[in-house]
Amino acid sequence: MAGGEVTDEVAQLRTQLVAATAAVSDAYRHNARIVRVLTVLGQPSTPEQLVEQTLIVLSQVFGADVAGMARVVGDRLVLTGCCGLAETHPILDTGWVLGGAAAEAVAGGRAVARAEPDLTDVDIPADLAELRLRSGVWVPLTGGPDADDQMLFLFSRSAALLGPTELHLLASVADRLRLAVDARERSVAAERLATYGHQLSGYLELPQLLAQAATMLARLLGADSARVVTVDGGRARLGSSAPTAPHRRSRWSRPVSELPGWSAATRGEAYRGIDPGDGDGDARALLCAPVMRDGAPAALLYAYRDRRRPFQGEAVETARIFANHLAAAMTNAELYRALRDSEASLRHQATHDSLTGLANRSLAGEHLEQALSGTDPHPVGLLFCDLDKFKEVNDRLGHDAGDELLWQVADRLRGCVRGSDVLARFGGDEFVVILDSAADLDEVNEVGRRIVRVLEAPFPLRGERVQISASVGGVLGVRGRTTAGAMLRDADAAMYTAKNRGPGLVEVFDEAASHRSLDRLALRSELSHAVERDQLRLRYQPIVNLATSEILGFEALLRWHHPVRGVVPPDDFIPLAEETGAIIGIGDWVLAQACRQLAVWQRLPGRSRLGMNVNLSATQLQQPGVAVHTLGVIKDAGVSPGDICLEITEHSSIRTDVTEFATTLRGAGVNFALDDFGISYSNLSHLKRLPVGTLKIDRLFVDGMTAKDTDLGIVRAILAIADSIGLAVVAEGIETAEQRAALLALGCERGQGYLLGPPLSDEEATALLLGAGRRSVPARH
Amino acid sequence: MRVPLRIAPDLSIECGVTVFRVGIGASVLADSTMAGRQAAESALSGLAGGEPALVVVFATASHDLPVLLAAVRQVTGDAPLVGASSSGQFSAGTLIPPGQGVSVLVLGSGRYRFGVASVSGLRANAFEAGRELARSCLAAAGPERDRHAALMVFSDGLAGDPQGLLNGVYQVTGAAVPVVGGAAAADRDLSETLVFHDGRVLGDGAVGVWIDSPRPLRVVSGHGWQAHGLPLLVTNVDGPVVHEIGGRPARAVYEQNFRYDDPMQELPTAWSQGYHSAHAFGLIEPDGSQLIRGAFIDEDGLIRTFTPLPPYSAVQIMTAGPDDLLDISEPLIADALDGADATVLLTFSCAARMDILRERGAEEAVRLQKAAGPVATFGFYTYGEFARTTGVSGYHNATLTALAL
Repeated sequence: MAGGEVTDEVAQLRTQLVAATAAVSDAYRHNARIVRVLTVLGQPSTPEQLVEQTLIVLSQVFGADVAGMARVVGDRLVLTGCCGLAETHPILDTGWVLGGAAAEAVAGGRAVARAEPDLTDVDIPADLAELRLRSGVWVPLTGGPDADDQMLFLFSRSAALLGPTELHLLASVADRLRLAVDARERSVAAERLATYGHQLSGYLELPQLLAQAATMLARLLGADSARVVTVDGGRARLGSSAPTAPHRRSRWSRPVSELPGWSAATRGEAYRGIDPGDGDGDARALLCAPVMRDGAPAALLYAYRDRRRPFQGEAVETARIFANHLAAAMTNAELYRALRDSEASLRHQATHDSLTGLANRSLAGEHLEQALSGTDPHPVGLLFCDLDKFKEVNDRLGHDAGDELLWQVADRLRGCVRGSDVLARFGGDEFVVILDSAADLDEVNEVGRRIVRVLEAPFPLRGERVQISASVGGVLGVRGRTTAGAMLRDADAAMYTAKNRGPGLVEVFDEAASHRSLDRLALRSELSHAVERDQLRLRYQPIVNLATSEILGFEALLRWHHPVRGVVPPDDFIPLAEETGAIIGIGDWVLAQACRQLAVWQRLPGRSRLGMNVNLSATQLQQPGVAVHTLGVIKDAGVSPGDICLEITEHSSIRTDVTEFATTLRGAGVNFALDDFGISYSNLSHLKRLPVGTLKIDRLFVDGMTAKDTDLGIVRAILAIADSIGLAVVAEGIETAEQRAALLALGCERGQGYLLGPPLSDEEATALLLGAGRRSVPARH
Repeated sequence: MRVPLRIAPDLSIECGVTVFRVGIGASVLADSTMAGRQAAESALSGLAGGEPALVVVFATASHDLPVLLAAVRQVTGDAPLVGASSSGQFSAGTLIPPGQGVSVLVLGSGRYRFGVASVSGLRANAFEAGRELARSCLAAAGPERDRHAALMVFSDGLAGDPQGLLNGVYQVTGAAVPVVGGAAAADRDLSETLVFHDGRVLGDGAVGVWIDSPRPLRVVSGHGWQAHGLPLLVTNVDGPVVHEIGGRPARAVYEQNFRYDDPMQELPTAWSQGYHSAHAFGLIEPDGSQLIRGAFIDEDGLIRTFTPLPPYSAVQIMTAGPDDLLDISEPLIADALDGADATVLLTFSCAARMDILRERGAEEAVRLQKAAGPVATFGFYTYGEFARTTGVSGYHNATLTALAL
């Protein structure tokens, strides 16, 4: 073989080798390309990452300067991903007009490649001119039958066209990319659905729930906007929208029949269609899914997109599942609201009086404490109001009538407080008014008067006109200093003071009065234990025949030997005992003690007819069965009722109906004396009504009769009256011989006083009865 | 005592009414402070009293780098500084071999606007780091934009996926902004590679310079490697380890494809034992060219690459002798300077090239400078070069890359 031939053959072989190498290189390169893209498509990632990474790989394996994915929206290409443009490039937002090669690719459903010199601005937008791109390939992405149009594109600065194999390869890659992105989107949608469903259940307030649902729906479906429309009684109302609707549209309400998709919704089916818009925008693609509860639409979900991007079957399924989540969340929200309402109702019950609907003691206490801890420079006013004679109404007309009266009282009281004040019922017939800001005590007093006045008019009750009144006590509390407890205590004390002064009165306590009240309060508390602590003693003041000085009997007088205060005067503690009711026990003790003592003395020689006067308070007289009880005490002591004289005041007899009491006891022989005749009403009709046997002339008149003609005249008049209706008379407080003489001269036969004998201990009195014979004037105590 | 290199060419060009000047200095003094100061002072003198707008420093990792940088900044002041640890440096035609030296380039103001920034977290997510780096550099360059731009990047040469870093950068900048630079290197070992940002030394990070320019900036690259044998398909790869090629054990296929007349028949072994490979993988690019991917045999006898080969990638075994590599110098420089009114040529070569060049290592620096003529060359030997010009790919091995400024 010639050398030249060998050389030729070698050269030929070399050429063949180069060609073979190039062919293999191409084949492997194609292979490598598709494998690399498939590798990326197979890696786990979000749809966004998948697009991003795929475009990077496409840029690498095809040497593309720009690789992108776009969606056809109307007449434009809108980029959904891009590699090779600066991230701030405006075209990423605006996209560009669909035309040239891209439009051909979409229309023909096949890849189109184009390079200079055939390339124009229509193919690659002029906005990318700075990149000096010289070739491109456009590949449509095939989706499902109702999928929107998408495409993949690669632009290069090289004018070399991709070959048919590469185009085929790209088309195959594009389809796989579309499928992979769709699968990822489905998986993301499923994940989002699950997450959103869970999140929705966390919204317990309906407005927030609906607002959140609209936002989530828009995100789930990639919608431009979304709405939740609630349905109630044939009318639909806009519940929420995302993005939030302008105010003027935020409240529309219309018949359900006007809603697009309503008839499908009643069958529980979703609806896809075109929304004509509200007249100010383009028609939009619409998806409606009903939120079914108890077999009927409770709300409708609406999602809107540009009409060139209608909703597909998957969106319907997603919306349907989301609607189910929302239905469950709405049920949750309603249960929560019911629970909250019931809690509120329980709270109301716990803090309000069920009869009148006013605040109760606990709420008023809370409010008072809150007011006292406030920063308003003005003090807080408090009025304690107790109805007079309420018990009588209750007893007479029954509890239902009593309740109705309380209701009417509450209603009237509401009319005399300001909106900022608190009116409360403390129970029974006690009402309290808290003045959130009171100028001074005068203002408190004024409110008190207003309360009294407003209750003055008769109340229509069971066909009657019932007249009641109220006793009101008021105090002021300084914020930051006074406590609620102290205010309530002082107002209560002020009310009692008012009540003691008579019905329908107002008493306000300043600080000094409150202190006194506090002192009285301590005394009251101690008084309740005085009997058991053996601090009470009886003194006996002789009642004598003024002419002969013969001891006719004694008046039992109560003394309280307080371990700290010493002897507390009866005028100080008897009213307290009456207020607290302690007078009942004390009165019983006094009567029993006096009777027992009388029994002892009556066994002394010549003393069998000795008498004993015992004072009774009005409170005692009000006790049920008091007549029988009193008689029992007298008899138990072993004395004759005829030797006992019960002294009552004219005042007591007026406050209480004592007729029955007096008649019963008088029938048993008990005597009655009117203690204060002349100083109060001095009503002769009382004398006629009561079985009184004796009148006692008050020490005031006795004291003044030797100096003043008036007093002498009064004494004379009393004696004349007594004489005329056959009553005995006892003059009290005789301290001088002149007084005794004057009384004798006027025909008064009996008296008591220091001149005749001071109040004595039982031993002293016994000694007097034993030693001094029939008369004695011992030294003063 | 060795005589320190002192290079201080006065390089400048008229640029409108302003003059764009650069200055270059280098030192092989052992003391980090003295070396830094000496190189910086030499470089600064090239600005003829002008203020530096950017300082670029390449230095051996055997220096006390924080001390070295502090010494440089004592001279250059607050001008932003970027740089990387090197496996040898070259400037103005002179090579400083691995294991010693510092080279400093100062760029005066007037023509370009620079924005310097750095990121960390390359290992955790190179893509995100790249995105952040590009955005930060762009922000640092200020709100005004010139017509053209490039990005110079140095990254930790042993951290993360360098192409991932470039992918992230590309996502922000797009195709319009070329990328040049290299991965920081160490001196013939794989211990630690670092990048510099102002006075800081960063591992697991990257530093970048946004360069705004009134004229187009062009990044070029070339390697001189020759394909040998038929294209092959990488059929089994696990990260940096190549297990199978064409369905057969990778090492057997690799060895089978060695060039019969290769002067260095011994197999390349790990760098710790002196990496000198005349063979590499050539990743076949879309245009048919090959992207070099260096390879070596590890202690277990497995073939490893410095950056993973994509699965099922098409490769060819590449080979190169010293002349193959050196012969690329002139065309590359011509390409880089084509139409460019340049003052300095930032050039990045590979530690692997030096290994092949061996005793002829200094020739590359000389030939580059000679080809560049009056334009100063300045660069370092990297653990991977950056030249992103077409599409997103831009990470190279055993390649020369350059940008003329």
